[in-house]
Amino acid sequence: MTAEAQRRRTFWQILLFAAGLLVLTVISAGSVYLVNKAREDSKWVVHTIEVENQTHALLLEIRRAESAARGFLLTREDNFRADHEKAVAAIIPALDKLTRLSADNPTQRENVEKLSAAIETRLSQFAREMAFVRQGEPDKAMAVVREAAAQDVTTRITAIGTAMIQEEERLFRLRTVSADRSQTIAASMTGVGSGLVVVLALISIWLVRRSALGRDEAEARLRDANLNLESIVDERTADLREANEEIQRFAYIVSHDLRSPLVNIMGFTSELEELGGDIFRRIGGLARVPAEGAPLAPAGPGEIVLEGADKQLSADFSEALGFIKSSIAKMDRLISAILNLTREGRREFQPVKIDTRELISAIVSTLAHQAAEAQAEIHLEPLPDVVSDRLALEQIFSNLIDNAIKYLRNGVPGEIRIRGRTKLGYAIFEISDNGRGIDPKDHQRIFDLFRRAGTQDKPGQGIGLAHVRALVRRLGGTMSVSSELNAGSTFTITLPIAWNVSNRNRD
Amino acid sequence: MTQPVSIIMVEDDEGHARLIERNIRRSGVNNEIVSFTNGTDAMRHLFGADGSGLVQKGNALLILLDLNLPDMTGIDILRQIKENKYLKASPVVVLTTTDDSQEIKRCYELGCNVYITKPVNYENFANAIRQLGLFFSVIQVPPAAP
Repeated sequence: MTAEAQRRRTFWQILLFAAGLLVLTVISAGSVYLVNKAREDSKWVVHTIEVENQTHALLLEIRRAESAARGFLLTREDNFRADHEKAVAAIIPALDKLTRLSADNPTQRENVEKLSAAIETRLSQFAREMAFVRQGEPDKAMAVVREAAAQDVTTRITAIGTAMIQEEERLFRLRTVSADRSQTIAASMTGVGSGLVVVLALISIWLVRRSALGRDEAEARLRDANLNLESIVDERTADLREANEEIQRFAYIVSHDLRSPLVNIMGFTSELEELGGDIFRRIGGLARVPAEGAPLAPAGPGEIVLEGADKQLSADFSEALGFIKSSIAKMDRLISAILNLTREGRREFQPVKIDTRELISAIVSTLAHQAAEAQAEIHLEPLPDVVSDRLALEQIFSNLIDNAIKYLRNGVPGEIRIRGRTKLGYAIFEISDNGRGIDPKDHQRIFDLFRRAGTQDKPGQGIGLAHVRALVRRLGGTMSVSSELNAGSTFTITLPIAWNVSNRNRD
Repeated sequence: MTQPVSIIMVEDDEGHARLIERNIRRSGVNNEIVSFTNGTDAMRHLFGADGSGLVQKGNALLILLDLNLPDMTGIDILRQIKENKYLKASPVVVLTTTDDSQEIKRCYELGCNVYITKPVNYENFANAIRQLGLFFSVIQVPPAAP
């Protein structure tokens, strides 16, 4: 998965989360708003019903007052009068209440004004009527009743009341519809919101699943890549090992086969030498014949008596053979060195626990004689113990200490110091001296086979350091030198503290 | 019944063969020397056409063997000699250029009697061969197998 895709995915997830939050907020706000609206709506519905009831109650009181007035007029009984007065007393508060209730609506307010005017008229008619009845003038009261009937005030009141009720009914219908709508909206809003939330959740789940799937795939790919890498590394290692083995075999065969003709060269050179001896002995014998007049027995072996040119010839012959023999000896040493190196390369290492200090002390004591001759002092500092091949370590340290003693400065007392420390699973050894040092340009060269550096005043083949480095490498370590001409040298060897067969011996 | 020991030399390098022969002769050994320059011919001579070794029954042999032969390794020849009932009593001297301790050990394990490396230092080599001559003069001819 690319970083771009990852970022896009994260972006989408954040966006989804934000959208979900937004939807929830909107739903909550909308719900609160809609619930408030519904409450308002029902309040208005209730209000409408109240107005309607109040109107009905008012009309009823007016009817009561009217019928009680009529009863009193007919019977003049006091209970009708009390009844009428009670009804009249209830009319004004009822009207006031209605006025208060319908204050919000201009139409109803107008109606209420008309109604209250009509009611006032009717109340004054009642008052006059009742007054006449009380004064005992029923005719006049009757006249008022007739007059009132003629004026049709009651009918008007009823009409206005009916209009008001109708208006309220209209409002009731309107408000009911509105309340219903609010509720429907609230319900659908909740429904849609919930649906949206569910959809968002589903998308989120899908995205999470997809990224989990992507992660699993990536993990699988990573595992594959690792396996692949391992097999590639194994393959390369096998190739390298094969190449290394081939070089070893090659070196072995070459040095071995070179040695075979060398045996002949040396053998027949020796034969020639003997032949030469025989020939010159004979020449010597022949040369003396004419001088002494009688043939002599050939000279005894070992003593060749020659004179003049013959002596010169014999000397030249011996010199030539001498060069051939010394060259053969040198070549033999070189070939032996190569053979030994390849043999070392084939030797199986045996890791054992090694008391490094004890091992180096033993080497130092075997080199004590050389050290004394070179006026050198060897200081051993505390050294870390390692698990490694004993023989290899012996060869490494004895070569390096031997070198340190060998290449001291003439006339300067030698001081050789062996230090050790550990770092990250490796033991680091330093062998430093105050000797003649090595020119930095030769630092690489000294590790090459048959190569040496500096003044060639000491015997040597140029094998030691090449051998040491090969051993250190096989032990899984590294080796380096730091040195300046005439300022001593320090060879640093880094070896794994616990070398085991598996980490390097496979080659 | 005494019979002169015959020396079988298996050596592919003619120069080496000549040097060995000379030094043997120089040490005063005059036995017959039969030379082979490859393993196949030597095997035929030693084991006969049928490969049983019957042809050499009762013969006193001393075998000088080089380990590096063009067609086979001397180790194989050594093993077969020491496994053959007619030949196993014959002394075998391994002569080779290698001084590999592993190889020397292997040869002694297989039953070789003497192992001589051909040193480039000729005096040593000549000495070793001469010693070998002395060795020849004192060895007992193996009793002929019935």
